[in-house]
Amino acid sequence: MTRYAVRRAVELLIVFLGVTLIIYLMVFALPGDPIRSLGGDRPLPDNVVAELRSRYHLDEPVLQQYLRYIGGLFQGDLGTNFSGQSVAGRMESRWPVTITLALTAWGIQVVLGVLLGLFAGLRRGRAGDRLVLAGTILATSIPVFVVAVTTQLVLGVRLGWFPVAGTSEGWPTAYLLPAVVIAVFGLASVTRVMRGSVVDTLQSDFVRSLRARGLRERRVVGVHVLRNSAIPVLTLLALDLGFLLGGTVVVEGVFNLPGVGQLLFQAIRAHEGPTVVGVSTALIIIFLLTNLVVDLLSSVLDPRIRHE
Amino acid sequence: MDTTRIRLAAGAAVLALALAACSGGGDESADDTATGSGGAIRVAVTDPVQLVPGRQTIAFDFAMAVWAPLTWIDDAGEMSYVAAESVESEDGVTWTITLKDGWTFHDGTPVTAQSYVDAWNAVAYGPNAWENSGQLANVVGYADLNTAEGEPATEMSGLEVVDDTTFTVTLTGADGQFPMQLSQAQTAFYPMPESAFDDFEAYNTHPVGNGPFEVATDYAENEEMTVTAYADYQGLEPTVDEITFVPYTDTTTAYTDVQAGNLDIAGVPVARQTQAAADFGDRLYSFEAAGISYLGLPLWDERYSDVRVRQAISMAIDRDTINDVIYGGLFTPATALTPAVEAGTPEGICGEYCEYDPDAAKALLEEAGGFDGTIDIFFPGGSGLDELYTAIANQLRQNLGVDAVATPSTDWAEFAGKREAGDIAGPFFSRWGALYPSQQNTLRAFYVEGGGCPNCIPYYEPEVTDLIAAADAEVDADAAAEAYAAVQERILEDFPAPPLFFETYSYVVSERVAELPTSAVGNPTFTQVVLAEGA
Repeated sequence: MTRYAVRRAVELLIVFLGVTLIIYLMVFALPGDPIRSLGGDRPLPDNVVAELRSRYHLDEPVLQQYLRYIGGLFQGDLGTNFSGQSVAGRMESRWPVTITLALTAWGIQVVLGVLLGLFAGLRRGRAGDRLVLAGTILATSIPVFVVAVTTQLVLGVRLGWFPVAGTSEGWPTAYLLPAVVIAVFGLASVTRVMRGSVVDTLQSDFVRSLRARGLRERRVVGVHVLRNSAIPVLTLLALDLGFLLGGTVVVEGVFNLPGVGQLLFQAIRAHEGPTVVGVSTALIIIFLLTNLVVDLLSSVLDPRIRHE
Repeated sequence: MDTTRIRLAAGAAVLALALAACSGGGDESADDTATGSGGAIRVAVTDPVQLVPGRQTIAFDFAMAVWAPLTWIDDAGEMSYVAAESVESEDGVTWTITLKDGWTFHDGTPVTAQSYVDAWNAVAYGPNAWENSGQLANVVGYADLNTAEGEPATEMSGLEVVDDTTFTVTLTGADGQFPMQLSQAQTAFYPMPESAFDDFEAYNTHPVGNGPFEVATDYAENEEMTVTAYADYQGLEPTVDEITFVPYTDTTTAYTDVQAGNLDIAGVPVARQTQAAADFGDRLYSFEAAGISYLGLPLWDERYSDVRVRQAISMAIDRDTINDVIYGGLFTPATALTPAVEAGTPEGICGEYCEYDPDAAKALLEEAGGFDGTIDIFFPGGSGLDELYTAIANQLRQNLGVDAVATPSTDWAEFAGKREAGDIAGPFFSRWGALYPSQQNTLRAFYVEGGGCPNCIPYYEPEVTDLIAAADAEVDADAAAEAYAAVQERILEDFPAPPLFFETYSYVVSERVAELPTSAVGNPTFTQVVLAEGA
């Protein structure tokens, strides 16, 4: 187990270096000059441009810039944007928003996905099953942006049930609507996996044995089927966290939530390499760590799974 | 299993990159400022980041609430004095600025001639690299603070303090428009208190100005910022007590929030311009702005060298229909080379060439020998301009019988880069918003090399440059306006590119706002917002 964890940690480091380099190069390759864009469509005086370029080392070759950035990173310095603000400081105040949003969405997805999947699995082939399938696929097919703007107009403006934007009303009111929008998007896959898993488990020998021993159906389903069906779903949900965090970029923009997704979007638009790399690397590390935890957890849930 | 993991991580990286690729956008920033007879208002802004007046590029509304300018230009184009008692000159070169007595900064220290001189020197000082330093480029000594080699000077020799309330400014050339340049949106000319110079970072977090509102909450990124009426303000008393600037990433969200009643004032994003009148009725305000758009033409390309080709392109564009369909009728088709709001603009001077006449356009193009190849319009993507340029391309294709397409860039930076390199194969986006509503600003930006708009039409005639300089030298306002109009007549002989629209800035307000006033810059004057009874 320890060797396994160490190996995974080394892999994490390699992924980390590769990902930061690739993203840094990609941001650098974006067309146009980020310093000139600081003035909007108004030109900055040439001497101002020259001073800022040298202040932020944009006049150096890209690899040198990258090495400087990584060097700072290992000393805990995430760099600054082109207005001199520290990237770490900008991210710090935004993590609570994004993590709250993603966890709320995740929670909604787990509860809805597992319940709908269980329902569909128990009613395999019947109308209820088909309805769940059609409903979740329809929800997944509509772009997040459209769902977000529509729910905002209907539930926020017309009905006034939820705030339209901002975090001023706190959790859960301010986060519920955006979280549902993100959750709905990944619901179909969670539901489908859960359903398939439930169907498999229901047909397995041990369920037949349990029933033969006269266990009540409620206990068979509620404890044994549910728990044994949950393992593949758990792995999927961990992967899903990546998409949830990706979804926050769009949703935080539409609902004006000051999270890291919004920061990433603004930073990409301003060609701020250090900010983009900082945010996306942090997101990737969260993603990798979650998956590591889930892998370790799955062997607890199912002792047959061993990590050698 | 493990390779799967790495693949997934790579997938996540690709996702981040895909996001990078599809971001293209520059939202029009919604700028705001306010004041009133009791009551508080909440207005939408784009997170400003820079609040120091010499640096801000999108915090105009905040700046205009917290600072008072020397001069003010109202929505009729009339100039009046705010912090200045007078701004005078005999020759247009040396200007004497006299300040009103008894003004104080929000920290209680007096506003003196020295406050202005120190502030302007800081803005112009090269190593500071402040974004608005260019506004001071015509002051004698500016170049010494911006030397490429050696130690730069720290004080401009053209500024001289006479006494506590008087200082003189010497310009590099005669400029009768200088008092206009001191008006509300030219924030590089705002004063700063002594405390600012110790620590500009702290000053940016808690700016101290000389205007109607003082900062009540420190600036924190993406958080609301509140300013309250300053009791000792010596100028026009504000009509509201408190203004809260609420940052929005997406201007459409701000618009929706006004609809929901959570916000009082927001700019109208392009995507909502056609429906704003239906959504808000008389709570939609459209202000004439000092902005004008052109269809820039690649004058370096032989095919556009015949003036008749350029005129034909202009006459083939149906500005009225585009305005109705895309801008909800909120813009005004251009009939001159400078925005109508700028004093003395000769509206209608463009004549038949700015009017839609497809038959005449086609005949004119044939007379010039037709057009060989494709008209490939290039514009900045992600800025809500797609519909406009696609419509223009369609009209050129239908009305002139030539191939025409419109291609967006990834974002503003790419557009500016390609334009600067001259790497554009066809007509292109070309617009300028003047910070002070004088024909001088717009004409300089478009028609003087290095005059302001490097992305606009590359039409730089020595004769036109001279005519503009001669008009600049006129100290008398009427004579200057006439001289600028004469410049326009001369430029139109060559018809370098078709003017498209006089711009307006549109705003929607909640039911709490009874009246939203404006000034010549086209932003709302938040300090004078009239609230509805009981609001």
